[in-house]
Amino acid sequence: MDPAPRRTLTSLLLRGSTQAGLFVILVVLWVVFANLAPGFLSKFNLNSLLRSVAVDIVVGFAQMVVLATGGMNLSVGAIGVCAVMFSGYLMQVLGLPIPVAIAGTLALGALLGWLNGFAIVKTGVNSFVVTLASASLFSGGMLILTKAVPLNGLPAEFGAFGKSAVGPAIGSMPAIPSLAVVALAIGLGLYVLFKHSTLGRQILAVGANARAAEMSGIPVDRTIVFVHALSGALAAAAALMLTARLAAAMPAVAGDDWLLPSFLAPVIGGTALSGGIVSVVGTILGALLVSTIRSGLLVLEIGNFWLPLFLGAFLLAAILVERGRAAYVAREQARRA
Amino acid sequence: MGAFFRLQWSGILVGIIAGGIALALSAPAFLSEFNLFVLLRSICVSLLVAYAQMVMLGVGQMNLSVGALGGLVAVVTGGLMDALGVPTLPAIMIGVAAGGAAGFVNGWLTVRTGINGFIVTLATASAFAGINLGITKAVPFYNLPADFVAFGNGRVGLFPLLLIVPLLVTVVLALFFARAVPGRHMLAVGGNAPAAQLSGVSVPRAIISAHVLSGLLAAVAGVLAVAQLGSAQPTIGSDWLLISFAAPIIGGASLAGGAISIVGTLLAVVLIGLIQNAMVLVKVDPYWVQFLLGALILAAVWFNRYRAIKVGEI
Repeated sequence: MDPAPRRTLTSLLLRGSTQAGLFVILVVLWVVFANLAPGFLSKFNLNSLLRSVAVDIVVGFAQMVVLATGGMNLSVGAIGVCAVMFSGYLMQVLGLPIPVAIAGTLALGALLGWLNGFAIVKTGVNSFVVTLASASLFSGGMLILTKAVPLNGLPAEFGAFGKSAVGPAIGSMPAIPSLAVVALAIGLGLYVLFKHSTLGRQILAVGANARAAEMSGIPVDRTIVFVHALSGALAAAAALMLTARLAAAMPAVAGDDWLLPSFLAPVIGGTALSGGIVSVVGTILGALLVSTIRSGLLVLEIGNFWLPLFLGAFLLAAILVERGRAAYVAREQARRA
Repeated sequence: MGAFFRLQWSGILVGIIAGGIALALSAPAFLSEFNLFVLLRSICVSLLVAYAQMVMLGVGQMNLSVGALGGLVAVVTGGLMDALGVPTLPAIMIGVAAGGAAGFVNGWLTVRTGINGFIVTLATASAFAGINLGITKAVPFYNLPADFVAFGNGRVGLFPLLLIVPLLVTVVLALFFARAVPGRHMLAVGGNAPAAQLSGVSVPRAIISAHVLSGLLAAVAGVLAVAQLGSAQPTIGSDWLLISFAAPIIGGASLAGGAISIVGTLLAVVLIGLIQNAMVLVKVDPYWVQFLLGALILAAVWFNRYRAIKVGEI
């Protein structure tokens, strides 16, 4: 066997960015799952996969913008449940028009996020501690006010949007769910923010080195408050999408369940926990990877109860493979230089 | 008074005493022997959970899998006793050893892969919870040895037998961090890892040891929770995350690592237990516990900072 062509193929696969590596892992997984379980590529499964991944992507974004500054937001899920119930309250109890309710919910999310940022900047306490405490405050406050009673009488149009799709269905490919379009639009906005705006560059500068950023005249405190408000608004957006998908406002849907996905999507996608590096595309691919693994295991009917075990193991493996690949690329580049 | 104010946990002690007096005056049932027994028994598991996280904060890391690990040990121990008929003591020993092994996996993955410990333990938490659900199929183990359950409910006056374990652990931990070389090494690594490495301390070994210790403590917490409940519920541990961080942080531990307070953590757990007890006695919506716990963490970190500035630590 002549090793040359295989070597060029592997080097082709191994070259490039984290995002390219993730894409390859995703394609491999899709091929494997499609071959093992024909149901994986069914219109029904793809549609439900895309609708759930749309919410996960925005949850990942909510964490990503705070990670960009080197902080964390453990209250993403708590802001999410508050927003879910508030949107239900505005639409069902107050009977406000849907656009007004959406604007009000996003404003509540931004306000709660702003409170996080304000507390972090004013007390100088680590964002982990502040958002751990505020998560408990927010979800506790929500439960006290709502008595944990779900709201099922939302306007029909709102639930219909959660099921609607854009464009025609081609063959076995379903039309793109509207929720996925919303997630991509938010992603586009964040991409522009981080790539092409002064504010975005300032956020990354604060994350890379807060002291140096301060010296360069960047208002560090104001930037941190801004990303927390943005994170809150994004968590509220994810909450609205989830409410539309379920066509009901339920207090038990977000909360702790969002903790793992909120970190996994950005971290798998190449966003650094230490701050200064974000990847919008990576976060989308990271969320897709998590949802693909979950959906694939479900379709393969690998015991429902064992699912979290495989999810945890697969995710560690995916991060490890990506690390190994990045290290290999670095070695290759060093060898060539 | 000044010297008292300098102590990190002075505020918590004042809170406990003031809260205790207020509660005794407003709800006479508070001082009944049975209520004090219930209060003391409720802090047993919380205290070990708090120590499991405190050890990690000491070495400058976090363990998000504390609850999942404790829950796994709970069902392993319960399963050994119920399904396999293993006698009490061997079952407990195997369960606690499994906890230590799970902690070792956390530590080994953190050190060897270079992935942030936060992400590693977030992922292993999912894995441990999966094993837990896979073993139990979400059905608890009920048939536990009578002596084991009796220990969980037994008391001498207002003193629960269960409390012996956390008190013993408290003494051992205090000696470990004050006198033992591995304990000092952990705190040195938490305080300044590069400096510790240069002084000849093995940073990877300190981190792995801390994870094993954290796993053992969470495991003992899981076993105690089974004894207290009288059955091995698969949901044990699912609500430990908040309290595991709340108690050490309220007690004065620094997230940056290297600074922990065993007395502070102990008092914080007592204060949280007191709040939970008060909610039951004055018949308030249980959701208020969660709300107040959040407010308490914020108040405590704010107070600690204020105190540090006054005393001149910053």
